[in-house]
Amino acid sequence: MKQITNNQLSKRVERCIVSLLLPLVLLTFSPMSAAEDVVAVVRKGTPVATPISRIALSSIFSMRLTTWPDGSAIRVFVLPDDNQLHSIFSKQILRLFPHQLRIAWDRLVYSGTGQAPVVLNSIDEMATRIANTPGAIGYLPKDTKDDNLAVLNVE
Amino acid sequence: MLFKQISPHHYKYRLFRPIPIAHIFTVNPRTIARKLGLIFLLSFSLNTNCLSFELFDSVQIHGFVSQTMFLTSGNNMFGPSISNPSFDFTELGINGSWSPIPNLLLSMQIISRRAGNGYDGSPNVDFGLLDYSHYFEDDYKIGFRAGRIRIPYGLYNDTRDVAFTRPSILLPQSVYFEGTRDFTISADGLLIYAELLKPWGNLTLELFGGYNRSNELDAKFSFLSLPGNLEPNPGFSGRLNYESYDASLRFALSGGYIPMDYKSSSSLIVGPTGTLIPTPTKGKLTFTPILLSSQYNTDKWTFTSEYSPFFINTSGLNTVVNPFADSNNFAQSYYFQVAYRFAPKWELMTRYDAMYTNSHDQNGKESELKSQYLIHQLIKNTPNLSSLEAYNLFQFASPAHSHFAKTLTVGLRYDISPMMMIRAEYNYINGTAWLPTQGNPIPGETKQYWDMFGLQVSIRF
Repeated sequence: MKQITNNQLSKRVERCIVSLLLPLVLLTFSPMSAAEDVVAVVRKGTPVATPISRIALSSIFSMRLTTWPDGSAIRVFVLPDDNQLHSIFSKQILRLFPHQLRIAWDRLVYSGTGQAPVVLNSIDEMATRIANTPGAIGYLPKDTKDDNLAVLNVE
Repeated sequence: MLFKQISPHHYKYRLFRPIPIAHIFTVNPRTIARKLGLIFLLSFSLNTNCLSFELFDSVQIHGFVSQTMFLTSGNNMFGPSISNPSFDFTELGINGSWSPIPNLLLSMQIISRRAGNGYDGSPNVDFGLLDYSHYFEDDYKIGFRAGRIRIPYGLYNDTRDVAFTRPSILLPQSVYFEGTRDFTISADGLLIYAELLKPWGNLTLELFGGYNRSNELDAKFSFLSLPGNLEPNPGFSGRLNYESYDASLRFALSGGYIPMDYKSSSSLIVGPTGTLIPTPTKGKLTFTPILLSSQYNTDKWTFTSEYSPFFINTSGLNTVVNPFADSNNFAQSYYFQVAYRFAPKWELMTRYDAMYTNSHDQNGKESELKSQYLIHQLIKNTPNLSSLEAYNLFQFASPAHSHFAKTLTVGLRYDISPMMMIRAEYNYINGTAWLPTQGNPIPGETKQYWDMFGLQVSIRF
């Protein structure tokens, strides 16, 4: 009788722990943690060292930093403002909201003081354009395999 | 240092990127027209998310179109808008930029603006400039812009005509006053700038010297109601801007010194009622605007406030139709604005906006008395004036409510796609200080309390 109670108790504790942990585990692996799944990507051979500082990366994507360390032009590719991968990359990798990036680009474009990144329609197009454009940078799902691309890790 | 040091063999001194000349000549106007036509067709299809429009690597073309409808009570806003909707507000712009080598940019924007009687839509060069910058370290650059340049002023002046970048149908009129638009929008001269990109944020200093643009309209219609021309003398303006690294905080201090000469060939103006009013033929006018700006951004909220002390010094312009009869006038404006993105693609905004043309006389009573006194003197000194003519003249006295404006705005915006946006807005206004005089030529007939409802549709690419 006593043993059963102990068994029941330990099972209850176990269940308690599982029910407490499960949401945590789910949270960790929910789409919110997709930061792990999107990476900044450059064309292979681009003169930049990885890891790159977050501030350099966000300066590049907000079009403030326009040249690589060797003085060559940076070509920035992005997906549309309302694209989910764009949103995840902005928020989790750059730590900027998509609307803030848009404000920064508009300010440059419509005052003639800078250029906007090139907006592409799909992940496939992004991979192709980065691979074929000298000085190109963009972002792709982590599992993308392409010999012409190099992942740029963030510090 | 933004970039990590990398091994020297990575460095290729390739500053000049060769551009095939043939590419430049393959762009004929017909192709551009066809591409433009395509853009407008595409932009109306709601499925379109974006449109990359590069002629070749280093050239970009962008533009915008906005159409606004105003329906008002009491006073006209951009066309006859009282009781019946007016569609007389159209903004159109197209710009091109070319970066032949890294850090060098050539850009130009043509704008066509139709706004009531004030602007007839004839195209003009909004900016046309050469921008060159040099990185001394990779987190510190100095550059200059030469040509016709957008004046760096506050949070919104840089892209004032692009509805997408505005928080509401019109910018807060207290600070971005329609009447002084041409002096504050762009100017011809040289601007030097320095920019720091640091972990604590981005600091930019811009200093401009040159000639502000002006035209006859401004002197005639907007704030002076005089018939002559304003000729700008060399002036200065500048902005110090701080933006936190995550773009959540932004502070700016802007200022300007804009001296102008007033010249007129006629010493009389004919009022809309046929009455002749004597006006000066020569005078001086100097604007000294200062603007303090702050903004706080989160994912869903944006809080914005700007405050502007504005000095207007005139000499030789004392006239019955000049609302700034004081030779040293100190105007003040400010607004508080909250935007809330409550769902993807939706934004709700509200704002309280106040403007006082003479901060020593906030209710305008003294200015009204002064104006009435000047008209009274004029009537006394004009022989053989009929009582009807005298009455008509009195209609030109600036009423107390024309010296202030307090505006409460509520607006809703929906982004149909990243390229297309619609918004609706309601304004409750007490006072007419920022009311364009084009559609409301007789001060005595303007109403103190009025409503303004607006609808706007805008496309950008």
